[in-house]
Amino acid sequence: MDALLADLRSALSDDRVRYDAAQRSLIAHDASVFDGGVSGPVCYPVDTSEVQAIMRIALTHGRAVVPRGAGTGLAGGAIPLGAPVVIAMTKMNAILDVDLDNRVAWVEPGVINLDLSRHLRPMGFHFAPDPSSQQVCTIGGNVANNSGGPHCLAYGVTDAHVVSLEIVLPSGEVGTLGTLGPDDHGLDLRGAFVGSEGTLGIATKVAVRLTKNPPAVRTLLLSFASVRDAANTVSDVIANGIVPAAMEVMDQKITIAVENFVGAGYPLDAAAVLLAEVEGLEGGADIDAERISDLGRANGATNVRQAESDEERALLWKGRKTAFGAIAQIKPDYYLHDTVVPRSALADVLETIYDIAKRHDLIVMNVFHAGDGNLHPLLLFDARIEGELERVHAAGADILRACLAVGGVLSGEHGIGVEKQGYMEELFSADDLDHQNRLRKAFDPACRANPGKVLPMGHSCADIQALRAVPTGVWG
Amino acid sequence: MIPGWLRRQRGPDAVGKTGVAGAGVPAGVDLKLDADDLNMCVQCGLCLPHCPTFRVTGDESMSPRGRIKLMREVQDEGAPVTQDVLRSFESCVQCRGCEPACPSGVPYGHLMEQARESLAEEHLITPRWQRLAFKPLSQPKVLQLGSSALALANKTGLVPRRLGLPDDLPVRQEPLRASGDDVYLFTGCVMDAWQREVHAAGKRVIEAAGFGVTPTNELAPCCGALQAHAGLAGETRALAERMMRTLSDDDRPILVDSAGCGAAMKDYGHLLGTAGAAAFSARVFDIQEWLAEHVDRLPSVAAPLDLRVAIQDPCHLRHVQRAHAGTRVVLRPFVREIVELDDDGLCCGAGGAYSVLEPELAGAIRERKVGVIDQVEPDVVASANPGCSMHLAGAGVATVHPMQLIDQALSQPQPQPVGA
Ligand SMILES: Cc1cc2nc3c(=O)[nH]c(=O)nc-3n(C[C@H](O)[C@H](O)[C@H](O)COP(=O)(O)OP(=O)(O)OC[C@H]3O[C@@H](n4cnc5c(N)ncnc54)[C@H](O)[C@@H]3O)c2cc1C
Ligand code: SF4
Ligand code: SF4
Repeated sequence: MDALLADLRSALSDDRVRYDAAQRSLIAHDASVFDGGVSGPVCYPVDTSEVQAIMRIALTHGRAVVPRGAGTGLAGGAIPLGAPVVIAMTKMNAILDVDLDNRVAWVEPGVINLDLSRHLRPMGFHFAPDPSSQQVCTIGGNVANNSGGPHCLAYGVTDAHVVSLEIVLPSGEVGTLGTLGPDDHGLDLRGAFVGSEGTLGIATKVAVRLTKNPPAVRTLLLSFASVRDAANTVSDVIANGIVPAAMEVMDQKITIAVENFVGAGYPLDAAAVLLAEVEGLEGGADIDAERISDLGRANGATNVRQAESDEERALLWKGRKTAFGAIAQIKPDYYLHDTVVPRSALADVLETIYDIAKRHDLIVMNVFHAGDGNLHPLLLFDARIEGELERVHAAGADILRACLAVGGVLSGEHGIGVEKQGYMEELFSADDLDHQNRLRKAFDPACRANPGKVLPMGHSCADIQALRAVPTGVWG
Repeated sequence: MIPGWLRRQRGPDAVGKTGVAGAGVPAGVDLKLDADDLNMCVQCGLCLPHCPTFRVTGDESMSPRGRIKLMREVQDEGAPVTQDVLRSFESCVQCRGCEPACPSGVPYGHLMEQARESLAEEHLITPRWQRLAFKPLSQPKVLQLGSSALALANKTGLVPRRLGLPDDLPVRQEPLRASGDDVYLFTGCVMDAWQREVHAAGKRVIEAAGFGVTPTNELAPCCGALQAHAGLAGETRALAERMMRTLSDDDRPILVDSAGCGAAMKDYGHLLGTAGAAAFSARVFDIQEWLAEHVDRLPSVAAPLDLRVAIQDPCHLRHVQRAHAGTRVVLRPFVREIVELDDDGLCCGAGGAYSVLEPELAGAIRERKVGVIDQVEPDVVASANPGCSMHLAGAGVATVHPMQLIDQALSQPQPQPVGA
């Protein structure tokens, strides 16, 4: 251990290689409910060459590496398993170059998503993926999890907005994936890296696509007497060929918690609200807003309100985007699911979810990217109460299976991490998984990059149980 | 199939993870934190970008989420209070920018104040020299002497530059006189010694609106905010009780032109937990907040000051009192242009005594703020807190109190109507 620390410190500096118990204990978590346990040294590199040096040193000492952004992941992707070297990317947070002519910007991966859009605002552009955590999550984390957000309904998720990447492979070599010019490469390795959750290496520079700010935006808030009415409205909007920028649904319980925090005027008595946004030229946006309002009313909307000002719009979105965080007003812990079902099945699946929660005697709340059929059921619990957590897991498993049964997938946007590894075999055949594993090994033959994540045991590089068998303190 | 190793196994039985107690490392300090308050944090991380120390370090142990997690480990899991844990707590500016950012409503400020009080009781933080340094604050004569000495020392170059004190600390001034009994103007300790011209300006502005002002001078020597931040809540309670005794013969409003003091005085209700203290706190107003309700009584000026003014909200006005809207209302008629800073009210790094105790972090935070200020290219920055003004002035930023701008606008010669 001492030799590893000494090598890392001479490559970086004393204060940017941390090994104290407090630091390691904090780094052992992200925003998920999973407890990974044991982190090795925590490094804060400031440039690509330092990342390379860390990779090489870790390899020499037989240690794995785990990249970490802001630690807002909900699937445990940044959790260190087996005392790896953790590479915290937060100090690599420069916006390097903005090229408005080609609508591309090179940024370091530690740049906060919203900081990038804020920086671009005076130029009339933004970075389109807008996870609800955008005020804090990093571009590197977005790339690794292929994150989405409310406005990805119209613009597509992160993958569609990453043009090229500089990466450091687990061997310490630097490579560039993707190209700024016309696509002349055979294999789209950039596409393989986006969503790889740190298992193929570390992104050290990202070329992101810039999206022009729309000339006109209309934001609607529709209230409904049932979640089913809201879900049906969403299906009808899409079926009528309207492509809103965003369509988000929240049920009554979560709406009350959110309103308590933001005071945006969300109705407290509606069983569900639909937040819909349309963009475009002035006239077009007005027509779309009118059509959505009509479809809502046809499905029984009890109230339709349009945001009158930018402030009102911002407040409504602030409510939606802080929804998960507002949970503690009701219970101190939550387990958040992330699954995608065909839009046509939305209403039925939601009903099933409420039934499952009732069966397991749990509170469930639903807040979701309705336009994509991306569901986020939140199961509420109090970890201090014996047995609640077990019920949460049983209910979670039932919910996932119910979604898979109607043709859904495992993760909409939060990734697999350690959370859904166990379900991979239910979705993919052994053959599929074998190919995924071979791709991973092409990047990382020695199995050093974020081992124990994504691919299930038996297919992944490292055996999770073996990783976890290292007790706390062994390396200290 | 689901990995069964989940976190949040909180409570006394859970195993401490923040290392082991060893020589010189006290184990099992009871932080006496409210268990439900502590439990409210869901570790979502939405507060991180609103924390100045996280912003400049990117270090989880210098973030609100990290600090809360460490409080939990110490209190619930019996983790030892290592130097690194203390470092995490002591590096907190107590700006409370994390509070309005938190959708779960975690009362971070009260948690940190309580944690510091418990640690100070164990003599783990706030060493003797710091405790002694707070003493003169409640004794105006000593403070005035000390301040004069400091001002002189600063002028003669005896004060280290890294403290970033502005060059023109006043050496000696006359106390303010009462002009009536409609409102109190709280004059306090440090600010009265160093920035009495701000009180004087505020007093003239309130008088211009037609109200008589009683400066509190010796009646209320100190609000106790700095002591509470340092974990010396006992001293703050004593000062609060003293102030409540001397200012409670009637129920006139108490106006405060220092955001830090105002926040502390509005918190007496919570600090003392009595109905009397709550009633006292309800009489406390930030001077801009109060004046915003009476702005129509101010004389109108024909020519506002020809200035582009950037408003830097003091954290204790914006995040704690949440009364920063008033600054805009009162300033708008008197200056050409008001511009907002694009950083969601991030702290400037002053933090009461913080800039002296943590010069490096305070400097880094200030550098960031100066960058944000430069973006909007103001003629001058308006800040309603003396500590912030001095801290920013230390970096060469022209900073004034909003009351000084209004005072100046009201006192400049008005163009005479033609033919008069
Ligand atoms: C309140 C809340 C709301 C959320 N809302 C959404 C949402 O709407 N949509 C959504 O998609 N997600 C959402 N998330 C999940 C999360 O914010 C996203 O997955 C985000 O992209 C993670 O970014 P991060 O910087 O926090 O990464 P981390 O959590 O630190 O890491 C995530 C993964 O990325 C890897 N990684 C980090 N940096 C790099 C790098 N430079 N190179 C390679 N790998 C790297 C890590 O190893 C890990 O596997 C939400 C989370 C919270 C707490
Ligand atoms: S303090 Fe609030 S915002 Fe910060 S991590 Fe905890 S719950 Fe989230
Ligand atoms: S009070 Fe300020 S410095 Fe302390 S954790 Fe909160 S935001 Fe950070």
